[in-house]
Amino acid sequence: MAAEQKVLIVEDSRATRELVSATLSAMGLEVVSAQNGFDALKLLPRHRFSLIITDINMPDINGLELINFVKRNPNYRDTPLFVITTEGREVDRQRGLQLGASEYLVKPFQSELLGALVKRYLAL
Amino acid sequence: MAAPLPSFLSRFFYRPDEAGAGALSWLDSSPVEIPRRSQIPDSQLEVLAVQLSDERYAVPVDRVREIVKVPPLTWVPRVQPGLLGVMNLRGEVLPVYDVAPRLGLRDAPVGLEGAAALPRSARVVLVRDEAGAAGILVDAVHGVVRLPAQGLEPAPAGAYERGAIAALGRIDDELYIVLDLGAVLP
Amino acid sequence: MSGKRLADEFVAEAQEIVEALGKDLLFLDERRGDEPDPEVVNGIFRGAHSLKGLSAMFGFPALSTVAHQMEDVLDALRLGKLRFDDRVLDALIESLDVLQALLAEGAGGAVDAGPAHEAAQTQARRLEALLTGQGAAGPDPLEALGLDPQLRAVLTEYEEHRLKENARKGLPLWKVRAVFGLEDFDQKLAALNAALKPLGEVVSTLPSSRPGEEATIAFDLLFAARGARDAVAGAVAPLGAELSALSGPLEPPVALAAPSEGPEPPAPSRPPVPLEVDEPRSETSLRSLTQTVRVDIGRLDALMNAVGELGLVRANLERLAEVARTATAVLPGRWGQELHAETRALARKLEELQAGILDVRMVPLGQVFDKLARLVRRLVRESGKEIHFQIHGGDVELDKLIVEELSDPLMHLLRNAIDHGVEPRAQREKQGKAGLATIRLAARAQGNHVLLEVGDDGAGMDEERIREVALERGLVTRTRLNELSRDEVLKLVFLPGFSTRAEVTELSGRGVGLDVVKTNLARLSGVIDLSSTRGQGTTFVLTLPLTLAILRALVVEVSGKTWAVPLNSVQEIVAVEAKALRTVERREVLQLRGQTVPFVRLARLFGLPEAKLERYHVVVVALAQQRVGLAVDALVGQQDVVTKPLGGRLAHVPGVAGATDLGNRRTVLVLDVASLMEEFLRPRAAAVP
Repeated sequence: MAAEQKVLIVEDSRATRELVSATLSAMGLEVVSAQNGFDALKLLPRHRFSLIITDINMPDINGLELINFVKRNPNYRDTPLFVITTEGREVDRQRGLQLGASEYLVKPFQSELLGALVKRYLAL
Repeated sequence: MAAPLPSFLSRFFYRPDEAGAGALSWLDSSPVEIPRRSQIPDSQLEVLAVQLSDERYAVPVDRVREIVKVPPLTWVPRVQPGLLGVMNLRGEVLPVYDVAPRLGLRDAPVGLEGAAALPRSARVVLVRDEAGAAGILVDAVHGVVRLPAQGLEPAPAGAYERGAIAALGRIDDELYIVLDLGAVLP
Repeated sequence: MSGKRLADEFVAEAQEIVEALGKDLLFLDERRGDEPDPEVVNGIFRGAHSLKGLSAMFGFPALSTVAHQMEDVLDALRLGKLRFDDRVLDALIESLDVLQALLAEGAGGAVDAGPAHEAAQTQARRLEALLTGQGAAGPDPLEALGLDPQLRAVLTEYEEHRLKENARKGLPLWKVRAVFGLEDFDQKLAALNAALKPLGEVVSTLPSSRPGEEATIAFDLLFAARGARDAVAGAVAPLGAELSALSGPLEPPVALAAPSEGPEPPAPSRPPVPLEVDEPRSETSLRSLTQTVRVDIGRLDALMNAVGELGLVRANLERLAEVARTATAVLPGRWGQELHAETRALARKLEELQAGILDVRMVPLGQVFDKLARLVRRLVRESGKEIHFQIHGGDVELDKLIVEELSDPLMHLLRNAIDHGVEPRAQREKQGKAGLATIRLAARAQGNHVLLEVGDDGAGMDEERIREVALERGLVTRTRLNELSRDEVLKLVFLPGFSTRAEVTELSGRGVGLDVVKTNLARLSGVIDLSSTRGQGTTFVLTLPLTLAILRALVVEVSGKTWAVPLNSVQEIVAVEAKALRTVERREVLQLRGQTVPFVRLARLFGLPEAKLERYHVVVVALAQQRVGLAVDALVGQQDVVTKPLGGRLAHVPGVAGATDLGNRRTVLVLDVASLMEEFLRPRAAAVP
């Protein structure tokens, strides 16, 4: 029996966090949330995440720095990582994808889209 | 299928000993669950059957929140005569009405003194509608029955409080008068 | 999670962001003319950015658009592309009102329509207009530094900008590398940041891609130092951090060391965008849109402790109960003593819990003061008068419920002061007063009450004019008027239907008089009073209880029914001989130290049978300067009570504020002194249509 898969959400907006985690929980995923990059760094070694979803614009450690960290670290680099952000410019998207993000979703995005992508990456 | 459903009904009843379970009982008191409507076929109307005087009335169960024994009531001045008073249910203050005069069953409301001397079977049925929760004093609670939807008929012509009656239902020989709560409560 | 909860969560968070933006912008507003602190500007930018994303996610496009335009303006500011001037600051501050109005409409269910939406579009265009004619970016000083492209890839545009700015100033850039344990790296980082801050600017904190040892994490801080290398090295050494140059050789490129002027600010060739004075905006209530209280975790811990201790008491009580249940003989005296001790402990702990919960409900008045300050600022500008607005006591705490309800009355009083209270500069100078008028909003705690003052140094109230108006409107008879003292005449302004000016101006709102302010305050068990001196100004003083949740009540009996009378409105209790009662126009009155006071038999008022008595207990209740004597049959005692509203169906029973439980499941009604007084003191002339 496959253990419940865990997803890490890094997002400083409480309401957005809840919205995303409602979508994921409804898919039977366990959701762990972090409200900033520091919390995310603390949570990463304590869980085995199947997916990481992060915002970009956050204080102290921004999302790009977090992607860079995750994607250069042998322990996490194979974990798919989605960016959810309001930065919709093409250069921002390219930057995120070049650093190693698997998907780049610009807010507002439909919950269905997020759900479909998560399904694809987690082979649900 | 007029048989009462006792285990289901028991969810509605407020057990006074719960209130005395200790100073901390409020910490884990959970709201009474509302029965899921989806389990009931559309062809049936599920109602709570209650006794008022010598007639049998019915309240749709999705409007019923709880059934409690008649608690001490507090009189309120300057309100409609149908209001018996307010009750305090686990910290919530709720109005309790005597609808019998409205339905022509009594000339005047029982009043507070009368309410204190009701038979042991008397209950307050807590219902909710758009205006908020309210209690209705009844002489007895019979149980939940399912009225076949095709068998429902409108109130008969004549000098009845037709506004207060949503429909009449029948199971075997028993006549159930389904109340329109919005109209019967002031 | 239900959609409703999510929506509430959205409104709560959006509201918080708007409040935080208001605070920060006010901070900048107070320091107009100074170079703005980049950290504050960046904080405001972040707030606008968050709001943009949040409202887009939750389907509020208009909100998102305004937030977006604010964000663009702030982005240009923090990147040095736009000069920070009054025009920009005004536009940003006024955007907040638009956001607030949109949020109110959104909370009410309107997503894509409503008057606020038009205001939003206008505001968005106005913000956008600020950005036209932005200067082009100068040469890139980072090129010369030869930064690792991998490093540049993870920096945000802002971080890059700060790096450039520092490079442009010729400051050396350092990489500070530190390895901390996973458990406490955030505290260590905070310490490192604190050590570095006095010496320069930490531009970015990067979790290092070079992995550290097991259970550690490495960070690179990009640091622009104002201080010497030794000073920086010395500051970071105690925290185990090392210093290295960010890029190759660190000789500052000569061409860039020269002070650069930066991009030219846009020339103010066009006239400033005219102020949009639209009605719906000025009518937006300042009340917050949520019922949420954000609580310091420490306060919750205290509650949790109290609950934990209650658990202990419960265990002891259960043990004692078990002893009693299984006892075969008479219980030992020790048992009784123990039970007594435990019940006392229970009472104490419950008191603690109660105090703790009250504490949680308390919020600083500053929350509403900040919003008022914004409003005042706008109104002042619209009035064309020159007014200095002072705020004191924003840290005074009150029950959240009261603070919420206060914003509208305070807004009204402040409007009144701006509109009617203070005079234009020319007039003031002619009278030898300072040209700049002052309006003061101050709060201070006094025992179980909070006093709020709204004062101005304007012309003061015109007593003669008040007399005329009161007569004109039939609020008082000429005979009665002649007997009134100046103070009493001033209080006529609180009567329904009174307004000191025939025409109601744009600013003071329509159809809302001071009587509404007074009634609203009375609903909060509050009292309003005013003093005014010709030529020196007017001050309104509001007295409010700290909390509505618990009040001390006098328990009385009337015709066999028990009532609770809020003690804060009880002035005194006297015994009155029946034969000492007199009537005035058939209404009973009593003499109280030479003053005639209306005498009200509660039993008669409520239609209950009256007992014939020789002597009456009279509870004298007071609200502002008015007094009424309430006759009751018996005084039972005093008790702390928690008032519960009577609920939706019975929300407005005149004379009844709610119900309360006196213990033993005995529910009694709480008298609404304010509405009773209103009923009795309303002048008869006003009661007749």
